[in-house]
Amino acid sequence: MDAQEPALAFSGTGLRKIYVTGETEVHALRGVDLAIYSGEVVVLLGPSGSGKSTLLNIVGALDVPTEGELYYHGTPLVGMDERDLTRYRRENVGFIFQFYNLIPSLTAEENVRLVTDIAEDPMNPRDALELVGLGERADHYPAQLSGGEQQRVAVARAIAKRPGVLLCDEPTGALDSQTGVRVLETLARANRELGTTVILITHNAGIAAMADRVLHFLDGQIARVEENAQPIDPAEISW
Amino acid sequence: MNALDLKLLRDLWRLRGQVLAIALVLAAATATYVLSTGVYRSLTETREAYYARNNFADVFADLTRAPRSIVGRVRAIEGVRRAEGSIQQYATLDFPDRNVPVRALINSVDEYGRTHLNTIALREGRMPQPGRASEVVVDETFAEANGLGPGSSVEALIYGNRQRLDIVGTGLAPDFIYAIAPGDLIPDEQRFGIFWMGQEALEAATDRTEAINHLTLTLERGAAEADVIRQVDVILEPYGGTGAYGREDQFSHAFLDNDLMQLDAMTRVIPPVFLLVSTFLVYIVLGRMVRTERTQIGLLKAFGYSSRQIGLHYFKFALAIAVLASLMGAAAGIWLGRGMTAIYAEFYHFPFLFYSLSPDVFAQAGGLALGAAALGALGGMRSAISLAPAVAMVPPPPPVYRGGAMERLGQRAGFSAIGHMIVRHIARWPIRSAVTVIGVSLSLALLFATMQFMDSSRAMLDTFFFRAQKQDLSVSFTEVRNEDVLFELRQIPGVLRVEGTYAVPVKLSHGRRIERTAIESMDPDARLSARIDGDGSEIAMPISGLMLSQQLANQLAVKAGDRVHVEQLGGRRTELAMPVAAIVDEFIGARAYATPDTINTITRERAGVASALLSIDASQRDAILIALKEMPVVLGVTERVAAMDKFEEVIDENINTMLFFYILFASAIAVGVVYNSARILFSERAHELATLRVLGFFRSEVGLVLLGELALLVIAAVPVGCVIGYWLAQMMTAMFSSDLFRMPFAPERATYAWAALIVLGSALATAATVARRIFRLDMVRVLKARE
Repeated sequence: MDAQEPALAFSGTGLRKIYVTGETEVHALRGVDLAIYSGEVVVLLGPSGSGKSTLLNIVGALDVPTEGELYYHGTPLVGMDERDLTRYRRENVGFIFQFYNLIPSLTAEENVRLVTDIAEDPMNPRDALELVGLGERADHYPAQLSGGEQQRVAVARAIAKRPGVLLCDEPTGALDSQTGVRVLETLARANRELGTTVILITHNAGIAAMADRVLHFLDGQIARVEENAQPIDPAEISW
Repeated sequence: MNALDLKLLRDLWRLRGQVLAIALVLAAATATYVLSTGVYRSLTETREAYYARNNFADVFADLTRAPRSIVGRVRAIEGVRRAEGSIQQYATLDFPDRNVPVRALINSVDEYGRTHLNTIALREGRMPQPGRASEVVVDETFAEANGLGPGSSVEALIYGNRQRLDIVGTGLAPDFIYAIAPGDLIPDEQRFGIFWMGQEALEAATDRTEAINHLTLTLERGAAEADVIRQVDVILEPYGGTGAYGREDQFSHAFLDNDLMQLDAMTRVIPPVFLLVSTFLVYIVLGRMVRTERTQIGLLKAFGYSSRQIGLHYFKFALAIAVLASLMGAAAGIWLGRGMTAIYAEFYHFPFLFYSLSPDVFAQAGGLALGAAALGALGGMRSAISLAPAVAMVPPPPPVYRGGAMERLGQRAGFSAIGHMIVRHIARWPIRSAVTVIGVSLSLALLFATMQFMDSSRAMLDTFFFRAQKQDLSVSFTEVRNEDVLFELRQIPGVLRVEGTYAVPVKLSHGRRIERTAIESMDPDARLSARIDGDGSEIAMPISGLMLSQQLANQLAVKAGDRVHVEQLGGRRTELAMPVAAIVDEFIGARAYATPDTINTITRERAGVASALLSIDASQRDAILIALKEMPVVLGVTERVAAMDKFEEVIDENINTMLFFYILFASAIAVGVVYNSARILFSERAHELATLRVLGFFRSEVGLVLLGELALLVIAAVPVGCVIGYWLAQMMTAMFSSDLFRMPFAPERATYAWAALIVLGSALATAATVARRIFRLDMVRVLKARE
């Protein structure tokens, strides 16, 4: 680490999440302490059910922890009401999911506009699409786009509001390697050019090579943190 | 139970809200069917039984005076089974505590206290005994309304003679199921009653020893009524016969018939609306169900279930709804039917009432419900059957949206992304959107069509009581008088104006069409009465020729300028042709008018006065009423205001009750349609709504996507509903019109607004309950799953 300590984007202590279904309790997170720095690329790696998605959802305010503290740039997220959590998502978070989640009745550009309409200092939707290399296909509906193109629209939609953080849950899970790389390149570019913090869940250990840090999950806990001195360009990732 | 049926039960439970909403609409269909058919049959059967039990006559005739022996001649006519002569005499009753004279129609019974035709159903006490001249039986309704019964007595003025009548019994008779005083619009049981009195006593009181003025007869089975009437008329001609008539012209029978016809019309209009909406609802709900269960259908087919079994599975879903609806509808129909029959029983005077509901009514109602549901299920069944297993197991391709007319409109209007989502979704599912619009508009239409009956009655009230009538009092005389009587009336202090009226009974014919009616005198200078046209304008009385009401003109198929043949009934029996000078579009009855001079040319004598219209100084009302009561020639006095109040009271009682239920039923449609549309919309859009929440849209904004689409469709339904409502109301008004009266079609703007408000209100409340689901939307779970 340099002498100048980078700002903490997220800091969390003792995060626990227990899902109760009927009489069984599922402990999804068993006390996680978290520190994610502003502007870094963090990959969450680990087997299914190890707590990666739960953490990502809590960080993205889609879910609340059963126990523990979580701060975003010093603001507590735990205990916020529903409306403030929504506002936090609206202003700070860009989501990318495995299954794109585009609105089928809106064109690529309109899907991006959906977000820029409500953001404070958004990009021009066209520019966001240019950034993911889809400027030409702005007027196409999702059904007229390939899977990779749809995911890039989702990325454009996520970055168009210039979010502080991008949360990606298996963004390449449904894509072939070539398309996957293109998506990852866009994410890296957003990180590089906009300074966006990127937190990315993957099953693909190869992708970890592009991260500044890798958090290894096991049984609802962070088992190990791996620092990567020389993150590689997504293009060099061996799939 | 096999696994597929188990799935059916669970599906029904899972979709219970939607199932119930459809069942409610369908239940409204069965309920209204059971209700109106039940009441219709109950009244019809009650009437038939009453007629049969009490020998209701087939033919009736009025005459001035004939010797009793004439009955034997009538009885001898071929085809006549039984004939009976009697005396009918209007009388005035004097209740010391009331200023307004009360009228009675007194009928004679034979020396044994019996009538063979139109026999009295004794309710209390006994019949008058021979030799006891003061004994009478009073109609039960009148007795109840005036606190009379066996043991009480009233002072009566019969044929100019004051006499005490001792009530020995109460009863009802089939010729007075509906009893209305001459000139009145609706029954007023406090001011008009039917009495029965011993023949000798009534003969003595009316100076008609061994004479009669009313004749009734029954016919042999298969006898030609028209032939008998013709022969009766020939016999009665020298005795002032005014023409015999059949049941269809008998007042009580005709009125009851009119109401039964209206009930029958209801059965044919209202349930089909509910059935149609139910069919639509089953169609969209089952269609959605099959779409979401694609993979399951593919799997079942892969397991070896036949297409027939799968089709049957979805059919059973519709069947279950129909069964549920039939049960609910039957229960509601029975309950409402009892209530409504009770209302009719109160209005009509039946000695007994069958509330019969034969199983076939339920079978028909159930059949209709099943038919509607099955028809709606066809679409879903067909797509389930036609799905190939391999295709079915692949998730459906994402819905394809394309630009279109709507699209260009949206671009030009500069819609937001949310606006586009709403509009494109509507355009993507045109049939379902149309179903929502049509369903809601039918709800509005039905509501409007029933609510505007209030406007109809109000228009009728306004025309009849304010514009056509301007008198304060109308006075009827015991018999036709000469004009001196008008002078007498003018002498009463406080009487401002007096106009006499007279009516001559005639038979009008044009070509083959013949109508019995009376030509009423109508002075061109009359100020206390007016003939009001359909559009509310006053039509001046032509100096010569006849003025016919539209109703009568239609029955005779004549238009202004045509000539009709006039045959006077009774009197000199003049026959002549007369031009129809004008036609007036009136609401009540088939009526004809002529100036007194024209009437004189028909009767070939100076017309008398049968009644008079008075305008008075309101401050002297009581004194005037007392003075009128003292005049022996006055039979009855009707106060316009009192008649109007009575009319309003009847409307309030009957129409309001009906209206309440129809508002309930029509709202059921709006609720059923909106609830199902909202639930389908929500299930289809859950994924998108969750995405929007993730992207940082507030719940209220997400709610807008869901409710915005519904709101657009519901709002679009308002003008459509108003148009359909207008049309439906016009049709129902036409179906409700009869020879007796025509409902004016006069919807108020406010009625459209009220109907729209009620529908929008129930739509909003329903949509809000569905929108609450947005609060429980699990963003994470929805997004993890592929749509």
